[in-house]
Amino acid sequence: MMNSSSRKAGVVAATAFGMILASGTFGIPLIGAEDMPEGFKKGELAPEPAAEMIEAGKRVYFTKCVWCHGVDGAGDGPGADRLWPRPRNFNQGTFKIRHTASGELPLFDARKPVPGQNDLFETVTHGLPGSAMPSWEGILTEEQRLQVLSFVTTQLVKDRKFTDKQSESQTILQLGDIKPIAATEESLKKGSELIVEKKCVECHGAEGRGDGNAFNLKDDWGFAIQPADWHKCWNFRGSRQDPYNVRNIFRTFSTGVNGTPMPSFADNTTVEERWHIANWVNFLCERDTDGKPLPIDPLTDKPKINFVVPSDPVEGEIPTDMENEAWKKAAKRYVAMGGQITHKPRNFVNRIDDIWVRSLYNDKVIVYLLEWDDRTKSVAEGKLPWAPTQVNLDIKEQDPKTGEEGSIASNQNKYRVYNDAIAIETPVKWKELPAPIKPRYLFGTNEQFPVDIVKWEADGSVRAFKGTGWDKDFEERDTYEENLKILKGEWINGRWYVMIQRPLGNKKDQDYDEDTFFEVGQYVPTVFFAWDGHNGDAGRKMAVSAFYYTFLNPPTPKETYIYPVVIAFGVVLLEGWVLTRRANKKKGKTL
Amino acid sequence: MKALMSVGALVGVIGLLLLVGMIFDVVPANTVRLVEGYMPMQMLTELTFFVAGFAGLSYMLSSMGMPLPRFWQGVGFWAFILLYLKYRVYPPIPFSVRAMYGTVSLVAVFMWVSSNEEDWKKFKQPILNVLDAQSGGNKMLRYAYLFLLPILIGGFTYNAMKPKSEEPIELRTVHPAPPASTKVHGKTYVLQTSQNPYRVNPEGKYDQEFTNANIVEQGMGRLMKPNANPWDEKNTGYLKYVREGGEIFFQNCHFCHGDNLNGRGLHAFAFNPIPANFTDPGTIAQLQETFIFWRVSKGGIGLPNEGFPWASVMPPWEQHLTVDEIWKVILFEYWHTGYYPRTWD
Repeated sequence: MMNSSSRKAGVVAATAFGMILASGTFGIPLIGAEDMPEGFKKGELAPEPAAEMIEAGKRVYFTKCVWCHGVDGAGDGPGADRLWPRPRNFNQGTFKIRHTASGELPLFDARKPVPGQNDLFETVTHGLPGSAMPSWEGILTEEQRLQVLSFVTTQLVKDRKFTDKQSESQTILQLGDIKPIAATEESLKKGSELIVEKKCVECHGAEGRGDGNAFNLKDDWGFAIQPADWHKCWNFRGSRQDPYNVRNIFRTFSTGVNGTPMPSFADNTTVEERWHIANWVNFLCERDTDGKPLPIDPLTDKPKINFVVPSDPVEGEIPTDMENEAWKKAAKRYVAMGGQITHKPRNFVNRIDDIWVRSLYNDKVIVYLLEWDDRTKSVAEGKLPWAPTQVNLDIKEQDPKTGEEGSIASNQNKYRVYNDAIAIETPVKWKELPAPIKPRYLFGTNEQFPVDIVKWEADGSVRAFKGTGWDKDFEERDTYEENLKILKGEWINGRWYVMIQRPLGNKKDQDYDEDTFFEVGQYVPTVFFAWDGHNGDAGRKMAVSAFYYTFLNPPTPKETYIYPVVIAFGVVLLEGWVLTRRANKKKGKTL
Repeated sequence: MKALMSVGALVGVIGLLLLVGMIFDVVPANTVRLVEGYMPMQMLTELTFFVAGFAGLSYMLSSMGMPLPRFWQGVGFWAFILLYLKYRVYPPIPFSVRAMYGTVSLVAVFMWVSSNEEDWKKFKQPILNVLDAQSGGNKMLRYAYLFLLPILIGGFTYNAMKPKSEEPIELRTVHPAPPASTKVHGKTYVLQTSQNPYRVNPEGKYDQEFTNANIVEQGMGRLMKPNANPWDEKNTGYLKYVREGGEIFFQNCHFCHGDNLNGRGLHAFAFNPIPANFTDPGTIAQLQETFIFWRVSKGGIGLPNEGFPWASVMPPWEQHLTVDEIWKVILFEYWHTGYYPRTWD
């Protein structure tokens, strides 16, 4: 049943898409009336949902939504205090992603889930990436999604009324009728100038990494809020599971984000200017080396992950200049980061959710180039509350339920600042671990199979640790540091660029029982840790990756060129044999 | 009959165009979305559509007087299967598994084309024609094969031999054998005899039948029974504990296991493999509550050696939760997914 309906939805979407294309080609851009911003048109309020829809929606709400959004829809469910951003407080009727003018209620009609005409339905369907709100498609039926929204809009939105013609109006962005402007070089250039002229960069930062005004922004409820990082379009709340679609950016820019400092630019930009800006913002989103959008994993709505970090061989010294040909050619891997929520202090809200890794090696050393977006450069102001090596601390962590005042959201920007940092963990004696090679636990298996951790901190220091088990303190290794070298450690416009060099390891100079030895053509399990000092990250309050593999690409062996020729020759012989045999058979002879 | 077949042909052509479009990135790959949880059914349906479409297509072609030779039908169908497996199925299937499916479907295709002597002859004919090369065209073809085949195979060999860095494949035991008993917060729980102390009826007695009657309904959306709302203030017993369990779940577990308990939480994208999906009938629905109690209390670290390669960062929750809280979370998980825990009898 579901199959046919989703198939139908696909067809409908495809048709709609076709219509948009067609109308875009022939349509005339809408010029707004006198009091109307360009591209907008007056709309009608939708009628009140049927009573049985509301009643049915209550059942959906109390099964699925109440846990975060709370009994009264005030965004204060049991899950709320450990989330940032906090779940939406429905009471005020403030919704972020809309086709309606700034300050207006979003589009919602319980009768029709038409794409582009039902904002709340699309929010529930596609979720809000970058927050805890998941996509409910495939979990709740279309009907159920409309039901729960009927309940939310009539019962939980308390300060406003979706059907009140006196107080509410609908000024709708005619996104389907407006023809996009192609992202030509000229358009991009205009866009890059407009973001300065329109002061976008004041909050979003010079490179659009959301680092412009990282500390002073608040939402309507007084919680700290961060400007979007344009380089991670898959985290845009309004990306609708289609992050590289420029229309989503155009919409957000035209309507603004209600409840946040992001205003609508409909009044002071023309439609054309908005397309240039949207094109530029879309262009900034992380892409592959050919400039094509990254493939998005439909199961997670984040870039697809390749768990192998290849390292290319280099003759002689490894270049420290990122613009060097060797670095440009090296594969750049997306490493996804989650909060460390295994040990206290748990990191429920990790501000670093990905890093980008490249690697090169020569006959003596391997170098990792790590890049990650961090809105704030943090260098420790004071002493750590606990040693960076310590685990199993008896410390107070975020209370599960404190009310708004004590929640994680309200603590943002109030943390004591520690060092930003990054670390690479590799197992020692990984060759002796039973296959497939992976140490048993994140922080080392035991005394016999420890892990080797190399950590760089924003104060410029580099240290080496040994981990011997998930519940054991790290041991600081004071002799190994002289082998390590930081080739680069720079924070520019909201992004860290760090190059860490370590020896490949050999039995003459290093200790086989303490250091990881890298070997060409072998998979060396590798884990990355990252700390954001302004998030109060220190010790094991950090972001962690899954197990990746460092793979030292071997130079191509000679056999690779020889065997194919031999085999091709063999095929020729085989062909000859088949043909002779056939010919003989036809002649009546047998071989 | 003809009308039916034309519809089939239309479906086949549209399906093929969509698939080819997706392969070459002309049509966005999510045009027909694969919806999680329904994927196997969706794929079977799709394949049925395709097969029906092909049958219609071949019927239409032959009724229009240009029948597709059996040889090309066979080759075409096999190529279709390979392309479908490679480009449509998600998450992607490793090459080794695809090779297996490919071989099986090759055998099936052979069985189909050789089901009777007549068919087999028809299938062989184009091959023999090229070998014999009686006509000019076939001669050309024969020479072309003579050169192209070695080059192609040589090229494949080169590709296969070039050093590559593909992720090693890992297999793991999903439900490792549990121990006979487990010690949590200083108390020993025998897995065979322990019971969830919160699985109780209004009289406070352990009552699986009563609690099973109050879980969410199976079926689309998995919604609670209309008269069994855990958020009802008047609740005592089971439903009250479900709510308390839910509160703990949404303060500790949803970060990985997700708001809908489907393993798609906020941090899930960063982990490999992604966290367990409780709505999948292969997880908690297959297990006893005490098994879950052991897994939750001891986490990934507590996995026995068969749990290899231990790719789990699930913490031993006894570090963070009390025994009561763990039992309540388990109660909530069964309530929310609508599954009955397995019992020992």
